Amino acid sequence: MQVFATFEHSSFVELAITALEEKGVGDMFAVPLDNRRGERNVFDTLHRADGISNVGKGMVLAVVFSVIGASRGFVMAWGPIYWGLIGGVSGFVIGLAIDIWINKVWKKNKRLLRGKNAEIILIVTCEDKQTEMVEALLWEHLAQGLAKIR
Amino acid sequence: MDNYSNTNRNRRYKAHVSIFGTTQLHLKSPVIVACWSMAFPGFGHLILSKYLRGMLLFVWELFINQRVHLNQAMVYTFIGDIAAAKEVLDTSLLILYIPVYFFAIWDSYRTTVDLNKFYILAERENAPFNSFSIGALEINYLDKRNPLMALFWSLTVPSMGQLYIHRIVLGFFNLIMTVIFVNSSHMLTGIQYLFLGDIVASTASLDAQWLMYIPSFYFFTAYDAYTNTIENNKLFEQEQRYYLKRCYQPPQFTIVKGSKVS
Repeated sequence: MQVFATFEHSSFVELAITALEEKGVGDMFAVPLDNRRGERNVFDTLHRADGISNVGKGMVLAVVFSVIGASRGFVMAWGPIYWGLIGGVSGFVIGLAIDIWINKVWKKNKRLLRGKNAEIILIVTCEDKQTEMVEALLWEHLAQGLAKIR
Repeated sequence: MDNYSNTNRNRRYKAHVSIFGTTQLHLKSPVIVACWSMAFPGFGHLILSKYLRGMLLFVWELFINQRVHLNQAMVYTFIGDIAAAKEVLDTSLLILYIPVYFFAIWDSYRTTVDLNKFYILAERENAPFNSFSIGALEINYLDKRNPLMALFWSLTVPSMGQLYIHRIVLGFFNLIMTVIFVNSSHMLTGIQYLFLGDIVASTASLDAQWLMYIPSFYFFTAYDAYTNTIENNKLFEQEQRYYLKRCYQPPQFTIVKGSKVS
């Protein structure tokens, strides 16, 4: 019996592999996948990082606008804290908009699609009577998909 | 204790996980790094994990700025009161400031260009590096962390984001600076007046000279925590791919050519 499972990159894969080894199932083959290029995201998350950081220009402009806003705030009605915050937020939004425009409209090149799709294929060879244990263990360690071949 | 000891047989390494933090080379935009150095000398170097010179330049800027009242003069300039700006500036140290300010921008720019080249070389060489470190004082390891949580914690109190991703040296430094800036600028007093709706009293309670350090510092710490979380995650993935290929691809492994059973 052979069990095929797909995983995301995380420490769970290694936990699954070592747990199987402890149970005496040691015949395994792991294939890390190269992922398809897809539309890029505005923010990177835990599962997804396309390698382009969108906040760079936003943060730089946030600093510039916030410094000027807070300075001018000393003589304006709302005071330096409000104007500093308004400057910071508007600078960040403008920078983010520029980045999004550059990447979505101007460059239009596709970036690596990562996360929430299979990143590793793990193939486990085991005896028929171990199949249920192997299957349960792989699901427990957050396998995304699983198939048994006999 | 590390899980790998450097044999020094490789020419370049792209990362190092130590008790004090995860240091890694990754591609960065030299212009963005230079912009951070413009916002505050030292920031560009801190982004590059060159902590000693980053902190040196930061403290230098702080000291000179306090002596010449540069922030106060900047506030007057933006208000349009050039006479008051001239009045408040202490010119005795002003000229000392200018070369170092431009050096910080130039040096962080050219260092980024160099490190980008070394990143490409280290990537091609793909030398093994330490990825787990445990000792009497701390534990550090490669793992996946959530960039938005790093951003969120940084935005509550600067330095929390750095602590989240184990940039201990910078976290320590940022925490001290946060306390100094907030305390000296009376920012929390100002915010409390805002909660009470008294904007005039809020403005009057603030110290402009100290307050003007906060915007750049606040956004820098958030940026640093967010981008480094992403880079640490990418490093974790690369390292895990390498490990799986090295240890779990036995040549004698065969695929069963049966059919899928449910």
